[in-house]
Amino acid sequence: MEKNLMVQKVRNGVLGVILNGILIIFSLTCIFPLVWMFYSSFKEKRAFNADIMGLPSEPTLVNYIRILTNSDYHLAESMWNSVRTTALSVFFIVLFGFIVGYILARVRFRGNRLLYMMFLMGMLIPIHSLLVPIYVVFNNTGMSNKWFTLLLPYVSFGLPLSIFLVEGYVKSIPIALEEAAAIDGSSFSRTLWTIILPMCKPILVTVAIIQVFGNWNEFSFALVLIKDVALQTVPLALTQFKGQFASDYPKQMAAMLITMSPIIVLYFAFSKEIIKGMVAGAVKG
Amino acid sequence: MLKTIKPKGHVIFLYLLAPVAIFVFTVFIPLLTAFRYSFYEWKGGPQKTFIGLDNYLNLIEDSVFWQSFGHNIYLVIACIIGQIGIAFVLVLMINSKLVKFKTMHRTFGFFPSTISAVCIGLIWNMIYHYQYGIINWFLKLIGREDLVKVWLNESSLVMLLVSIPLIWQYIGYYMVIIISAISSIDTEIFESAEIDGANGIQRAIYIVLPLIKNTLLVCLTLCIAGNMKAFDNIYVMTHGGPGTDSMVMAMYGYQISFSQSNMGYGSCISIAIFVLSLLVIGGSQGILKFLTKEKEA
Repeated sequence: MEKNLMVQKVRNGVLGVILNGILIIFSLTCIFPLVWMFYSSFKEKRAFNADIMGLPSEPTLVNYIRILTNSDYHLAESMWNSVRTTALSVFFIVLFGFIVGYILARVRFRGNRLLYMMFLMGMLIPIHSLLVPIYVVFNNTGMSNKWFTLLLPYVSFGLPLSIFLVEGYVKSIPIALEEAAAIDGSSFSRTLWTIILPMCKPILVTVAIIQVFGNWNEFSFALVLIKDVALQTVPLALTQFKGQFASDYPKQMAAMLITMSPIIVLYFAFSKEIIKGMVAGAVKG
Repeated sequence: MLKTIKPKGHVIFLYLLAPVAIFVFTVFIPLLTAFRYSFYEWKGGPQKTFIGLDNYLNLIEDSVFWQSFGHNIYLVIACIIGQIGIAFVLVLMINSKLVKFKTMHRTFGFFPSTISAVCIGLIWNMIYHYQYGIINWFLKLIGREDLVKVWLNESSLVMLLVSIPLIWQYIGYYMVIIISAISSIDTEIFESAEIDGANGIQRAIYIVLPLIKNTLLVCLTLCIAGNMKAFDNIYVMTHGGPGTDSMVMAMYGYQISFSQSNMGYGSCISIAIFVLSLLVIGGSQGILKFLTKEKEA
């Protein structure tokens, strides 16, 4: 018996080392590129080219200074464009998602199911097939290459999922609440903004989390719709750098880290909520 | 009962006006416009000539387009096996009592999926780089200089090489989704299975798998839809090259429309992408539903 127990213990020990080892290696590969970029961005180009993996022997901020002071790179502008576009898109997605989701869940009117189907189709439509068509329509109507241009596709593509999340959520709220409010003389709008909105906060936060990352990272529609460098968002700016700093990796890394910084800070500060929100969005969508 | 929430018609109309207008303008109007222009020869200039079905007939014989479609399917299959397969195995490991730092694995593993595809592509360009890349650095380190090459120029390897970043980026994402599905399973089931003598692998196949079937179906759908629209990574890493060896549908449509400014044919390709993606997504849904029903019977 004792011998068996020993064998069991040894086996568990070995298994534990293997399992932990594999998972730690996996976690490290996920985070390693970030770490590599971080310390390499403090190297001069020559030091990096001589030894791509080593830690910087003479750490320097020169890459960051060059990127941020050279206005040809438009990095500060791109960051501002991305912040503005993301903030406004998310705001409108949450706002419209809330309004439409609530109305579709609660108000009976002709066309309710039709609208529902229309937004459902929006979720099924392969959005990337719109890349060229959107360019054509926006060009014809003079809507491309403006500061607000990207808001339209971002809001449209974000709407269906947020509408469905809100609609499902509202249906789980007892309707008695709104009835009571109506009996007390509260108008539709007042009930919507003062009673329903606070109750929907959790689902609206989920919607916002999903959309912040999606919009900050979106590339293909920005590529097609924005031609002016002064209007480009961060992912576009990065592809420009790729050409400009072709063989200057530390500089490219510094630029990438600057543009990733808001996402990195946000992620590591709220990783639990963010992971929860993204999973909820993925599974319910 | 519902009559208490019956606001006036114009109130509803005003609330719905802006979102519906924006949605129609950016989704349905472009689709209809593309459908119309797909019957025209149009090189981006003011002149458009109606040519009937010629664009579609060209498309059917366009080997590059079908090669791109094949590459999309390749990515779908590679990512189903790579992302969901590896994620499932990792979840089984993470759920073991012997494993520590579970929260750290989740946080770090999920991290790449929050980074833009452009960044991921640029990072992997660096990893694959001939002179300064990590792979060639490693090969030199272990004394296999003979294997050092310009990785992304290898026609036969390029699809595999562009799939690796895609797979890597989303393993943690699917891992977290599957973990949350498993954590909602009643732990008593596992305990009784353990008492009955089921080992880890048996438990995984006969208990876990059927119970998280719906979540796995969601993962599959996400994976298929996500890879039919592959564009950002390819644009950053290879532009579809060498030649057309890593071309995907969206990239091809982009090239035809913007590099060759053949907007008529580009519109036709857009409609084809639309139809093919719907067919693949819808078809796979149908097959999956059929297969899972069979098992239950």
